[in-house]
Amino acid sequence: MSDVLVIGAGPDELVAARLLQQAGHRVTVVQEHALHDRVDGWAPAQLGGLQTTRPDPWLRTNDGLELFADVQRSAQSIGRLSARDAQRWPEFCERMARLAGLLEKIYLQAPPSLIDLRFALRVRRLGRRGMEDLMRVLPMPASELLDEWFESDILKGALCAFAVRDLQQGPRSAGTAFRLLHAHVGSPRGVFRPGTVDVAPLRSGLTMREAQVARIDVRGGAVSGATLANGETLPATIVVAGAHPGRVLGELVEPGWIDPDLVRAARRIRSRGVAARARLELERAPQWPTLTLAGTADDVERAYDAVKYGRISERPVIDAVADGAALDVHLQFVPHTAADTADIQARLVKVLQPHVPPIRRVSVRTPVDLERTYGWPQGQPHHAELSLDQALWMRPLPELAGYKTPVAGLWLCGPAMHPGAGVIGAAGYNCARAMQKS
Amino acid sequence: MTKPDVIIVGGGHNGLTCAAYLARAGKKVLVLERRERIGGAAFSEEVFPGFRFSVFSYVVSLLRPEIIRELELPRHGLQILPLESTLTPLPNGDRLVQWSDHDQNRAELARHAPRDAEAYDEFGLLLHRMARAVKPLLRTAAPDPASLRPGELFDLLRLGRYFRELPEKDLHALWKLLTMSAADYLDEWFEGEALKGTKSASGIIGTLLGPRSPGTAYVLLHHYMGELDGVFRAWGFAKGGNGSVSAAIAAAAQAHGVEIRTNAAVSRIRVKGGRASGVILENGDELEAGTIVSGADPRRTFLGLVREENLPDEFVAAIKRYKFRGASAKVNLALGELPRFTCMPEPGPHMRGAISISPSVDYLERAYDEAKYGEFSRRPYMDIVIPSMLDPSMAPPGKHVMSIFVQYAPYHLNGGWSDARREEFGDTVVNTLAEYAPNLKGAILHRQVVTPADIERIVGLSEGNIFQGELSLQQMFFLRPAPAWARYRTPIHGLYQCGSGTHPGGGVMGASGRNAAMEILR
Repeated sequence: MSDVLVIGAGPDELVAARLLQQAGHRVTVVQEHALHDRVDGWAPAQLGGLQTTRPDPWLRTNDGLELFADVQRSAQSIGRLSARDAQRWPEFCERMARLAGLLEKIYLQAPPSLIDLRFALRVRRLGRRGMEDLMRVLPMPASELLDEWFESDILKGALCAFAVRDLQQGPRSAGTAFRLLHAHVGSPRGVFRPGTVDVAPLRSGLTMREAQVARIDVRGGAVSGATLANGETLPATIVVAGAHPGRVLGELVEPGWIDPDLVRAARRIRSRGVAARARLELERAPQWPTLTLAGTADDVERAYDAVKYGRISERPVIDAVADGAALDVHLQFVPHTAADTADIQARLVKVLQPHVPPIRRVSVRTPVDLERTYGWPQGQPHHAELSLDQALWMRPLPELAGYKTPVAGLWLCGPAMHPGAGVIGAAGYNCARAMQKS
Repeated sequence: MTKPDVIIVGGGHNGLTCAAYLARAGKKVLVLERRERIGGAAFSEEVFPGFRFSVFSYVVSLLRPEIIRELELPRHGLQILPLESTLTPLPNGDRLVQWSDHDQNRAELARHAPRDAEAYDEFGLLLHRMARAVKPLLRTAAPDPASLRPGELFDLLRLGRYFRELPEKDLHALWKLLTMSAADYLDEWFEGEALKGTKSASGIIGTLLGPRSPGTAYVLLHHYMGELDGVFRAWGFAKGGNGSVSAAIAAAAQAHGVEIRTNAAVSRIRVKGGRASGVILENGDELEAGTIVSGADPRRTFLGLVREENLPDEFVAAIKRYKFRGASAKVNLALGELPRFTCMPEPGPHMRGAISISPSVDYLERAYDEAKYGEFSRRPYMDIVIPSMLDPSMAPPGKHVMSIFVQYAPYHLNGGWSDARREEFGDTVVNTLAEYAPNLKGAILHRQVVTPADIERIVGLSEGNIFQGELSLQQMFFLRPAPAWARYRTPIHGLYQCGSGTHPGGGVMGASGRNAAMEILR
């Protein structure tokens, strides 16, 4: 039994803390940022007891397209746009579900190595078609994948919105098909949107304190605890940090303990936030659970074009989920440097107004706000952008993919780690298991 | 010739290379070329009296050194003149020149960004190492990872072992190159906009992708492969134009007994009982051979020369979804005098190298933005060489030829390509370049503009794609051109492919032709 300090109170940190506490350690969680109870993603069964809720229909566009957890019902709705697409929808869902199934298994363990024979054999077990799908699909642009299957621009555009979510890429970028699959993992067949999970129960029974960590203390190459911003020292033999690896290794650990090349690489992990969040209060509850305003794949691509040059999209991709008479809105693309809410709000209202009951109040949070509130670096909820070069064995860096750092007793468990945010608590779960193994 | 053992459809550089290797191994080989000349897209032509051009393909980039050696190409007339520098003129009147001389190069980089001069050597070393790691893959057929056949399993294990023996660090670096965008990759190393722009340009060549599109970093490697083999920076210029490359390979093939027939367009590959048995020419002649090799791209081969009903449905579907999307054009100029670049107006060694209009990553990305919605770039990327500076025989005394490779000119242009649109595009190119070299317009004697539609019409490359299909990750290695059929074989017995549409693809490289020959001889 030893003293464990968990830095951060996101779902990953909480899951790691719980598992370590169950293993008999004395655990203290340092909460640095605001808590949020409702988190985007799905809760793996391994964590027990957490509920994932999803709107049904999980996708609804202003053109009347509705996609449900029921594949046949979705096909009926698609049939109003294209009979051919309706016919192909069930097979598409089936093929994607197979790939997502493999990812789901990989997500709940430490990432496989690039030359892992067991991983190679598992891939081979998918059979010829599954393997070909995997190797073709993962590096594909979502727009090309969808073009191969479907003809309806409305259907393709709406799915593209989920393929670029929180990614500084457009649907024509290679690897966005992987991102679409990531949104599908853990969901029922035919659902390509993460749900919402109430993570509050994860906090019960844990010792938590609100504080800012100023430094992770190292003595003789091993952690000895942490020093808080108020100067107080908390001794510990194990420190599990959920913050961005660039911050942990580059700012919190005293310089000199870590190879400067690794520190530089950790700082270089791409973490650009691209979305603003908003909450809208309406005169009355809307008659639908969700609304996605994406347009065509080209519209999503054009929305992305703006952010490459540091501008807010003229017509951002908007995804709203109803919560009584309020809407939780995800608005993309917004450059990570955006601090001014007025501009974002104007565009949001302009695009959304025709489709919702009268708006009473809007509160917008820019990537800068999101960083301040939740500690998401540059407003990026995944901490490390979920692109192919920062996924699986590359996440967040190959040297750190095992959750371990070069400082003995210092571990990483945040969303920057495999498998990233969205799989609630999985990085924390994998991290705690890796610790128990070592 | 009595009945040949092998008929090769298409006399491009890969077809000729394949023919030469097969003949060298004792096969009787007949090459049939549709056009009046050999070389495919690598040919030289006196387009205007006294002015010779490499009309399409214009530099020797990646021609495999083992091919040069084994086919003794220098003995058959190949002479490569190195391009010694790359000049990037900048809109503000400054410039960046990358020199072959190390110290000179370092000083120039430091002038723009001192950190870049430091990073440059380390970057070069890493890419060299990566290029060396990849090189063996270029020389072999790509094993099929889903196969259960013992031979292929053996190849697969050998490949697995090869990769396991590489340092893990190198594997990860390779993965990054395969999955990142050129811009993101270069951002990790460099600061200078002109350097990043010019370097990232090599990642977009031949592809409808921008420097910020993931997957473009990989092509950065290509620039370091040639250097490994002692050729400066992989880029050179063949004396007499790129037609000389084809001519040298053809001469080597003929020396081994290959017969080459031009004006012999094949209209169909004959298939009997699942076996290729010969070809039918457009003039109705029928020729028989036990082995047929197609150098045409996958679409022309399987959706044109072969009847669909002879192929499995899934294979046909894979070929139909194989992407071409040509995006590159050429503007060839006959010049009365040398252009004078504002940033370096005096004639000098920089005129014997490449000139790149790529002032920044954003410049290239904006050019791409227009192309992805079906317009040609209003301010395009250009890679320019003045071959007459290296080989005076290309132009009359005192005059010059200028070869401008341009992106983006999408094959699928909104409204389609027409004579008027072609000239409009030519004007855009000349106007853009004239901003950097104001005397250019007055110096132009003749102008030839070649769009992707022209490339398709003239040399038969589908959609004008210069690589016979995009070199994107889902169309590479064991997926090129179709899963399970990446080993130069096809679902039809006795029919093989040897063009760039097979692994490893690419420019004037010859690897596909050589690998195909090895596979046929197996």
